[in-house]
Amino acid sequence: MLVSLNPRDARPLYLQIVDEVRRAIVLGTLRPEDPLPSVRELASQLVVNPRTVSQAYQELERDGVIYVKRGQGTFVSPNVQPDDRERRALSREVALRALRDARRNGLGVDELVKSIREVAAEEESAEPASAAKQGDRE
Amino acid sequence: MTHADSGAGAFVVATYGLSKRYRGETALAGVDLRVPEGAVYVLVGANGAGKSTTFKVLMNLERPDSGTAQVLGLDTARRGAEVRAQVGYVPEHHGHGYGWMTCGRLLQHVAVYYPAWEPTYAEHLSRAFGLRLDKKVGTLSKGESRRLQLVLALAHRPRVLLLDEPTDGLDPVVRNRTLALLAEHLADTPTTVLVSTHHLHEVESLADHVGVLRDGRLVAQLPCDELQRTVRRYRVEVPERWEAPPELQAAGLRRSHAGRELQWTLVGEEREVTERLARSGAHVREVTSLGLEDAALAFLPEELSP
Repeated sequence: MLVSLNPRDARPLYLQIVDEVRRAIVLGTLRPEDPLPSVRELASQLVVNPRTVSQAYQELERDGVIYVKRGQGTFVSPNVQPDDRERRALSREVALRALRDARRNGLGVDELVKSIREVAAEEESAEPASAAKQGDRE
Repeated sequence: MTHADSGAGAFVVATYGLSKRYRGETALAGVDLRVPEGAVYVLVGANGAGKSTTFKVLMNLERPDSGTAQVLGLDTARRGAEVRAQVGYVPEHHGHGYGWMTCGRLLQHVAVYYPAWEPTYAEHLSRAFGLRLDKKVGTLSKGESRRLQLVLALAHRPRVLLLDEPTDGLDPVVRNRTLALLAEHLADTPTTVLVSTHHLHEVESLADHVGVLRDGRLVAQLPCDELQRTVRRYRVEVPERWEAPPELQAAGLRRSHAGRELQWTLVGEEREVTERLARSGAHVREVTSLGLEDAALAFLPEELSP
């Protein structure tokens, strides 16, 4: 599991970890019964306080996203699917970031939504070119 | 986890009205430090703000003019030796005073003083830090010397770590490895950490409490999440000749004007602050949360921030 944190992000670190795990599940990089790194491993990898990792894991456990097998570690819950609710939560989070940015630039919601559709349409029509570009990068 | 031995409550490190002057210069002025059990408390402040003096008083290397200090419920002035036995200390200065010894010999030498010393852990840490044990202490670079001090501080798994600018002199790669080792250490060993820095971003990912020292005064002391929740930047549009109401003046940190727009960093719950601003005739345009370092730096005078 790849977790990356952004110290400039105003979200508390534990919440960033929670969101990263949820994101990994939505993307399918974390699947039911996959093991999560131990608190010690993740704390060392991210260079954060182990308490922060514990706090994140506790919240995920409370929400039924992960569970602890005594003596064996922490795993993704068997019944967790990248369902609509998770996707919606993720989508709302992205929307909120965009909206904040728009407001800072003095733009309204309608302008933002319109521009998103425009840009998306342009990208779609230019897709072969951009796909090739991505291929080059890889 | 056990609580502190005496009536100090859950505070592992506490100072009461600590004051100290050096030749008429104020080093500390009435500092009431409170470090809860198990916390990673970062003491931030400019050079000369009083961070090192605080550490020296806690280690009983320096006597305060007034006030007292306790570590694990022990008065540091009267029971300094007991305190030092339970503390891992990385001092501000890099010197060891054992220049002729090899690092390995120094580790053996120091081990004798600590019943809880773990030779295998000391070896593990030395290896992880890339320290050469056959090297003479006197020939170490600033960064190597720092790493040796960290090994000495950690290898007896003390209940308290007092780290005075531990990342000073370390290059970014070693700094990151040091903090990762510290994270592992905290996962394995219940420890209370007081760490000072003038670069909060270097250690902020480990911090859960922050204290801000400014000219010898502790001007802020609170859990990190509370700091980030209660210090926010407000962008407001104000009418002509608007004057800030006194209760907001008191909560105000940094302020800058551009035409009729005002950018102001204020302390308080966002809803209350917004209401107060609105009542005073100001129109709140935007509220921004700050990163930990920016929130803490807001308590320092502007010319000192990087």
